[in-house]
Amino acid sequence: MKHIFEFDPNKCCACSACMIGCMDQNDIDLSDETCFRKTFHNEIEQKDGDVYFAYLSVACMHCADAPCIEACPVGCIRKDPETGFTIYDNTNCIGCRSCAMACPFGAPRYRKSDGKMVKCDGCNTRVKNGLQPACVRACSFGALTCVTEEEYQASGSDKACSALIDSLGLRRK
Amino acid sequence: MKRFAIIGSGCAAYHAAKAIRERDKEAQIHIYSDNDLGPYNPMLTTYFVKGAIPYGALFPFGSREEIQSRLDLCWHPNCPAAGLDPEQKAIRLGDGTEEAFDGIVIATGASAVMPPIPGLDLPGVFKMRTAQDAVELKERLESGTIKSALVIGASWVGIKVVEDMVEHQVPCTLVDGAKWMFFVAAFEETARRAQKDLEAKGVQVACEQMLDHIEALPGGGLCAVMQNGRRFEADTVAVCIGVRMNVGFLRDSGIAMNRGVLVDAHMRTNYEGIYAAGDCCEAIDIQSGAPRNIGVWANAGRQGDVAGANLAGVPMEFDANILANLAHYLDYDFISIGDVSACKETDQVYGYEDERYYIRAVRSPEAIKCINMIGSADSNGIVRNIFIKSIKEPKAGLDVPAVCQLQRNGFPDSFIEFLGGISVD
Repeated sequence: MKHIFEFDPNKCCACSACMIGCMDQNDIDLSDETCFRKTFHNEIEQKDGDVYFAYLSVACMHCADAPCIEACPVGCIRKDPETGFTIYDNTNCIGCRSCAMACPFGAPRYRKSDGKMVKCDGCNTRVKNGLQPACVRACSFGALTCVTEEEYQASGSDKACSALIDSLGLRRK
Repeated sequence: MKRFAIIGSGCAAYHAAKAIRERDKEAQIHIYSDNDLGPYNPMLTTYFVKGAIPYGALFPFGSREEIQSRLDLCWHPNCPAAGLDPEQKAIRLGDGTEEAFDGIVIATGASAVMPPIPGLDLPGVFKMRTAQDAVELKERLESGTIKSALVIGASWVGIKVVEDMVEHQVPCTLVDGAKWMFFVAAFEETARRAQKDLEAKGVQVACEQMLDHIEALPGGGLCAVMQNGRRFEADTVAVCIGVRMNVGFLRDSGIAMNRGVLVDAHMRTNYEGIYAAGDCCEAIDIQSGAPRNIGVWANAGRQGDVAGANLAGVPMEFDANILANLAHYLDYDFISIGDVSACKETDQVYGYEDERYYIRAVRSPEAIKCINMIGSADSNGIVRNIFIKSIKEPKAGLDVPAVCQLQRNGFPDSFIEFLGGISVD
């Protein structure tokens, strides 16, 4: 059953609980790595002079047609046919950064200790076992959710992270 | 039942076959290949030499047999096309026989250039493109017989061969005929910086050196003699001066060509039912609007997808073709996005440098033209996306997540403003 991350910026206060959940779940050593998920609370001055207060939680969007998959020269990245998440096996990763060049969201990260790419895998194992992704579990405000494709379509929501890439105008038609 | 042919067996060919099979379970798909291997990635050869990956990883989609079975393909190994009759959609084979199809994808890739310069056939002179090239260099390096190396061509492959030599503690010199390294992608200032950093890692670099010939030295070893008389001695010489598209068999066929096969956004040639994809073709560069070969792995895959889907009757376009060259070597990364040759004296130049980033970029009032960055690997995709968006929607500016990420990653507000956004925080 395919799953979809949804993000509602109107419910996010950038409290970073999602980051803590991610770090805990993935045993991320901050001395060597950065968290797969990042939160932002920035003030962005726009061209018309208005200021936009941005509260965001960003990780891999698990794009429906993920450009990182074809960009990887070794074939490390693929879609999990069950969950639809963009997962990876970095055994043969050469650390070439091609996936980072392909990703418009800056999701792939590089571990200094072994020079290999790591990224959010949607907590694939948790989801396959009926659990929520750690970041979703930690979000107290319902800003981050993870639902099945059927639930998403039934809800009429338009906040699927996997569809964000379509809004960038980068994709083949 | 339809019959399709794919000429070539690399990344674009694989993706074309996969795209057809996903949409047509019954079609006969014939692969005509000039070798008996599965699709391998030329970019990986130097990583195999370095020991970063095993031999099998050169073949990211699996072996020929696995792919043949998985996609139900009629594979013709060591059976390259000798000609094409596009009117009849027919391939002429080496024995003179012809096979007609309902549609054809030309995906013959490119080969390393070995110009007719005296001495390039001497033992110890090699190129780096094929899996066999990699196997031979790895064996030589691991045998310890290479004591010094000369790499001719500061290309994307050349710099990786330099890395292989350094990793094996082989003293190495890099020479190039152009005025500076990475000439087709780097501003002079960026290249000088990259050269200085490379020299600090123990690699000698000499630019403006045009090879005249290579000669064998009486006591063993080789000497590359330049047109200016300068001599570079080493016991092995790597020739990495570029690639040539494998389109010779199409000469006089009527297929429209420049250096490669010309295609539209659907990867269509000038003949109905004949498509081309990957390193052998020139798709529309969205920055210039003109055809250009941008031979990178991801493009080959996308173009193969698009060609295969269209051939199977599902319309699809390839529309994000921009120059983007990434060099990652010796714990150093350099990226160039956009066309450095499009920049003019009157354009705005942006420069920035701190302990983390080196940035040099040029734009006109209308559009960003080229961005060089060193040390920015984690953010390259974000900046590349901004560049593409600036071409497609010049007035759109940066989206909020992109601004947030660039700020978090330590890029200065002045760069964000240069890219088209204004920020305070």
